[in-house]
Parts: sequence; C-alpha cells; structure tokens
Amino acid sequence: MSIVEGSREVAIAGSELPDVPLPTNCPGCGVALELRSLKASNYVCECGHHFRLGADAWIALVADAGSWLERWGDVRSHDLLHWTVPKPYQAVVDKLLADGLNEAVRTGTCTLGGHPIWLAAFDFRFVGGTLSIVAGERLARGMEQAAAGGLPYLLVSASGGARMQEGVLALMQLAKVNAAVGRLHSAGVPFFSILTDPTFGGTAASLALLADVNIAEPGAAIGFTGPRVIKQATYADLPDGFQSAEFQLAHGQVDMVLSRTELRPLLGRLLDMYT
Amino acid sequence: MTRHARSNAGTPLTVWQVVELARHQGRPYSLDYIRRLAPDFVELHGDRLSADDPALVGGVGTWHGRTTMFLGHQKGRSLKERVARNWGMMHPEGYRKALRLAHQASKFRFPIVSLIDTPGAYPGAGAEERGIAAAIAHSIMEWFNIPVPIVAAVIGEGGSGGALGMGVADRVIMLENSIYSVASPEAAASIVWRDNARKVEAAEQLQLTSREILAMGVVEEVVAEPAGGAHSDFDAAAAALDEALYRHLQPLLAEPSSTLLQHRYDRFRYIDSLVHAEPHFGPKID
Repeated sequence: MSIVEGSREVAIAGSELPDVPLPTNCPGCGVALELRSLKASNYVCECGHHFRLGADAWIALVADAGSWLERWGDVRSHDLLHWTVPKPYQAVVDKLLADGLNEAVRTGTCTLGGHPIWLAAFDFRFVGGTLSIVAGERLARGMEQAAAGGLPYLLVSASGGARMQEGVLALMQLAKVNAAVGRLHSAGVPFFSILTDPTFGGTAASLALLADVNIAEPGAAIGFTGPRVIKQATYADLPDGFQSAEFQLAHGQVDMVLSRTELRPLLGRLLDMYT
Repeated sequence: MTRHARSNAGTPLTVWQVVELARHQGRPYSLDYIRRLAPDFVELHGDRLSADDPALVGGVGTWHGRTTMFLGHQKGRSLKERVARNWGMMHPEGYRKALRLAHQASKFRFPIVSLIDTPGAYPGAGAEERGIAAAIAHSIMEWFNIPVPIVAAVIGEGGSGGALGMGVADRVIMLENSIYSVASPEAAASIVWRDNARKVEAAEQLQLTSREILAMGVVEEVVAEPAGGAHSDFDAAAAALDEALYRHLQPLLAEPSSTLLQHRYDRFRYIDSLVHAEPHFGPKID
C-alpha cells in the first residue's frame, strides 16, 4: 500500500529515532545488522522483520519534530498490594524508573503531518507493557481531553495485558479505559490503533481493538490468551502463524497489516480524510 | 490495606480455602439463584449471529413485581454438564448474547441482574479465532451505554476479563466466599513465576477475597453467606443475595438514564480513587 499520488508528503518518521539495542544479526533473515540504515527504515529489516520499539522511539516516529508535549509524566506507580514475591514490586518499578523508563504508557499531544493529535504509546520494557493504574489513568485522561477538544486519538500498543502486581485494580482499568473509549466514539473523534508485537490480554480486550481503524504490524503477535496458556489449558496444537497480525486480518479483527515504513504516510492520509 | 487484612476481619479461613470455597462444586450456580429470585424465569438463547453459548444463561423473570433481565455465568455439576457448560468459560458468542439481551432490556426498560461466576473467558483456539478479545472489549464499552439499571454480584469466581465483561454495572456486590481477580491464581502464577504450581502464593499476593476487594473500593458490599458457606443452604444464600441486590437496585430505579450512565462512568473512572488519595499518586484533573 503506497500513498496515492498528489497526496501531501508525510515522511516515514517525524524525527530521528533513538538508538535501539539490537542483536548482531536479524532474527528474521540472519543478515548482519547496521544500526544507521535500520534506524533510517524505522527499525524494519530489508527482510521485513520489525524490531520492537519503546515508547520513546514511537514518539519520535509519530510526532512531527519538536511537537511532542508529554502529559502526566510525573504520575508514578507504587506498590499497593505489598507484592513481595518473586521480586518486590516497588523495587521493580524503582529500577525501571532509574533506567529512564516512565511507565507502560506514555501520553501527550503532538502533530502528525501538521494535524494536532493525542498520542499514547505503550512501552513493553516496563513490566511487559502491562496495563496498570497509572497507565489506565494516563489513557483515560488523554481520551477525555481528546473527546472534549475534538482531537484525533492515536494509540500504539505493545502489552502483555493487565499488571498482576496491581491485582483487581489493574483489571478495573479495562473498564475505566473502555468507558473513555466510548466517550471518544460518541464525541465523533477519530481513533486509530497501531497493534505491535505483542498485544495480549487486557490490552487486546480493552482499547487496542476498539479503534475506528485497527492497523497491525507485520508478524506481530496479537490475541487474548497467550499461546503458552492455551497449550497448557487445552493441550491444543496451535498452527503456525496462530495469533499473528496476518491471522487477525484473516479473522476480521484488524483493518490492515502495514509495514512501519508506510505507517506514517498512511496516518497522514487518514487524518486528512477523518478530520 | 495489607494482605493480612482478612485475619483482621476475624475470619479463620486461609486465602486458599476461600478460593476453594468459591470454586466448591456444591455451591449454588447462577440458575440456582435465578430460579429462586424469579420462579417464572424464561431462558432466552442465542447471539443471533451464529451460536448460543451455554456458559452464559440469560432470560427474563419477575422479580419484586418487575420484569427483570437475568444474566449469569453457568457452571455444570456433573462432568457431562460441566463439559456442556464449558466450566462457565464464555466464548465470544456469549458476550454477544449478553449484549443482545442488554439491548432488549433497554428497549423494555427492564433492569438487569448479572451474576458472575467464571474462571475467565475460554482460553482456547476457537475463541481466539472468533475474536474473544474484541468481544470482551466491545462488551465492556457497550455496558456503559445501556440506559437501564444494572446490578451485578460475584457469586463464586470472578476471573479476569471474562468476569469484567459481565461486570460493568451500577452496583457490584460479592458473596462472602467469592473471589475477584485480575487473573486466576493459576494464571497469575504462570505469568509471574512461569509455574502455575505457585497458585497459593499467587492467591495470597493478589488480594482476591471479597473483604480485600471491598477494602480496595471495587465493590459496594460483601453479602454474608449461611454458616458453612452458600452450598450448605441454597435457599438462605439466595434470600441473602436477593435482599442485597434489590436494596442496591431500588434507588437506581428512580434515576434518569442520563444520571445513571454518568454515575456508572464515574464509578469505574474513579474506581481506584483510594489510590488517588495516596500522595505519591498524581493529582486528579478537573
């Protein structure tokens, strides 16, 4: 899928992506990797393998240079259930914060091809991108403001589901966030969802599949129950490609499977049409 | 709020014993309650798209003089029936049936009673192929637009998204020996330890007992069960559930639907407000 001729030029990335730690060879094709060229292609190998990106890289990719304004970045997770085993939850969170990560979801406003939008990006490096109270709060607040302000909402997901260490309050985030998704829809605000590898559990069963346009990255694993648990529970042999982006396209769950190198130009076109 | 809160409440049961009681095979299931609340109950079947999900029962009955829409996860008692009911684990068709009946309730202004008793949504290949994630997501979102009063009760297991998909309501209560959890203890152990044999530790960490859930502000009330547990006296358990559910429903019947929907939104939007009160957590916006 390429941009129709005559449409406004939107670059494949808003600004230069940060360095992402890479293996020496591509897990897709085995070819030795070169950071500079990969970065220029949004971390997509020539063979089509998509490397996972954190929220910082997604923000750089999506937002026009200099337009990102982060919101509620100071809201922090902390241990509510006195979770101690196998690792104290508070220590896990503190370590990730010290490493420079800021929760499983970051959100804020930016422009994309000149269109002002709300952006929320999951970060799989933060406790598996799990939906926590803070993540849910950032998502719900952003959606409420997008609904009130009439700004399109763009979501990039990469998540294992709800965060076990926050117990039933993490589960309640599905309802909190979906209530806000409903407000987005009733406000007539466009909602686009980019599903990246992996998107599972409570994140797939809440906002990630509820957009007006669901776009999956090639090869991304997307589903409700992970394959390990399905095999444990049902002893089923799962076919190759089960729960892949392509599987979800074939089963009607996403509108398209699109290379990351074509994503931003497409979003530019969608924003032109939906706003 | 600590994981020792239960012993402070003076109960002698361990967390794992509560989990076992919540799953007790002699425990009353949804139809046992529904037929006691509304003896004229008429079951309705099917999602009008492709199938009927026997893990979720739904239908109409007269309750306190008013036609009411009943929905509930249904487990089976014999092995054959348990298989037929898929252990109360819903497929996508079940969520679609529930929404169909919720829309019907909206049409006739019937209040809705939802009884929750599931280990979770069905973790199988067929459910994935037919879009279980989107079915749950869509259900949760749609419940916020159903303009009639909804009261829900966790009567046994409130497992994960499968339970929450039936648990968006104006009031949510729990029976004393029921549990509500982000994941089953086995699944949580599998996720956190990669070893589902650590289920007892997981259950203790999760704070899934009714009193712990009440302390977190997630449910409105814990309903006492007959001595020995709900399975020892179905009639008494049903009477206690009936009284509590109707007491919660009554004030909702007088609310205009716009108020009802706003309050339902706020109930879940600020369901973690006890956490907001914590100074380390960010300020609430206007």
